[in-house]
Amino acid sequence: MNLRIFFFITLLVLAFISSASALVIGSDEEEIYIDANFSGKNLLVFGAFYSDPSQARDDKSDILIEVVGPSEDVIIRKKESFFGFWLNSKSVGFNDVPGFYYLSSTNEITNEFLNENNIGLLNKKDTQLIDWSVLNIDWGNIKNEKDKESFYDALIRTKEIEDVYRKVNGEIDIIDGNLFRSYIEIPNTVPVGQYKVNLYLIIDNKISNEYSYNFKVTRVGIEEAIYSFSKNYPLIYGLISLLIAILIGWSGAEVFKRFRKV
Amino acid sequence: MSIYLPIAELSVNIFLLLSLGGVVGFLSGMFGLGGGFLMTPILIFMGIPTNVAVATSANQIVASSISGTIGYWRQGLVDFKMGGVLLIGSFFGSILGVWIFSKLVALGQIDTVISILYFSLLTSIGLIMLIESSQVIRDRVRRKTVKRKIHYHNWAHKLPFKIKFYKSKLYISAIPPIIIGFVIGILSATMGIGGTFILIPAMIYFLGMPTSKVIGTSLFQIIFVTALVTLLHATTTFAVDAVLAFFLIISSVIGAQVGVLAANKLRGEEIRALLAIIVLGVATKIALDLLVEPSEIFNISVIRALF
Repeated sequence: MNLRIFFFITLLVLAFISSASALVIGSDEEEIYIDANFSGKNLLVFGAFYSDPSQARDDKSDILIEVVGPSEDVIIRKKESFFGFWLNSKSVGFNDVPGFYYLSSTNEITNEFLNENNIGLLNKKDTQLIDWSVLNIDWGNIKNEKDKESFYDALIRTKEIEDVYRKVNGEIDIIDGNLFRSYIEIPNTVPVGQYKVNLYLIIDNKISNEYSYNFKVTRVGIEEAIYSFSKNYPLIYGLISLLIAILIGWSGAEVFKRFRKV
Repeated sequence: MSIYLPIAELSVNIFLLLSLGGVVGFLSGMFGLGGGFLMTPILIFMGIPTNVAVATSANQIVASSISGTIGYWRQGLVDFKMGGVLLIGSFFGSILGVWIFSKLVALGQIDTVISILYFSLLTSIGLIMLIESSQVIRDRVRRKTVKRKIHYHNWAHKLPFKIKFYKSKLYISAIPPIIIGFVIGILSATMGIGGTFILIPAMIYFLGMPTSKVIGTSLFQIIFVTALVTLLHATTTFAVDAVLAFFLIISSVIGAQVGVLAANKLRGEEIRALLAIIVLGVATKIALDLLVEPSEIFNISVIRALF
């Protein structure tokens, strides 16, 4: 409940500081720690449409919340049948794609609007081809537009199944006409690193105001220590793994020897 | 209760892991096999990434082969000189194997190659065991005893670089054991196996080693091959999962001891026939995964993540 008190006080303070119409936001987390038992977390994002509380939201204004995770390079491979065997064949490399992507709006936002304002991932237009030049893609020997789209769709689909890409609308609560609040689900499959939250106030299909802030996702605990040790000191890590194997194997034989004599 | 595996990056049920290690350990103690050929594919079925399954199995086999070698060494059944010569070959074999492995990972073909290798391997082992055990059972029914030759003279005796192996009472060229070691090294690095089931017949039939010394000597050389493979994987593919290895090692070492005890009390042939059927079942599952059209024909792999 502390959060909610904090939420209203923040808004109240901000409302007095800024006089002009503005997007005001806040969040409850600066850093999210993932340990072995982490089963996901709801990140609270909240704010007000206007700094002047008397100015109520009308139907023409919308809020768009975008969360972009750290970027990564991925390869999408397609399996094809060779003499009855299903083997990986063609592949496409997508570079600098976000490892987490979340887009939420109060009302349905059109792909045209998103593309025009360069927000987020590429969106299919109904009549036009996708402008691939925005992304850093290694197409390999794929030339056909339809094949390109199938690889891109596979990327989005896989990420959606992993729960790291999500596009929703109507999940933002509006309180008293001017305040909004949304819980963003951060599943335990998310990559670690720097995340960016972008908020847009849209009035009459135009971005009237925007605001951004960052938060960090960090892995902690013994599992994380093992993981980073294996990457930073691979030789020592390998030797320790061997030592454990030798000690347990040896003591197994010793224990058994005594057991046998009895 | 589940546990998070830091390198495999997924959670698995701890009791499932312990029973897998226990059962594979039991079978290996019972039949004197390393058990890697069952461990790796089952780990892959559980959803552990192929590279982690292979690298971690190698680490687990280090423990089980040490445990076994000590037992045979106490009975004077290890030919260290032969083991050393085999190791010369396996040293280069495993370096080549890990190199092939990382190339296949980069090409995205590791899963397929491992599946095909395992399918061929398990089918042959399964069939051989099935035929062999059913013959023994049939001979027992007919009350026949099979006489075996103690010594084979073949091409291994005619090649140059001959060395005396006193313990095995052999005077043969160093080339065949080095080649055998080389092949075992490659298989160990790419498949996460010790290779006992290939090594033992090869040592008996190609080198003409006495059967009594074969198991101890093969286990002895497997310690070093799998240790080297573990180190090479830890430093090149980063795929050794210490947490996974720990639970598999603990349970397989205990399972192996129980297996050795059980081997003295149970009649082997029927159980061997049963194991053959399990092995063939695993092979069939691998074949189906390769042959049936997958529901998702695209797959993703993250090759670089920014921190």
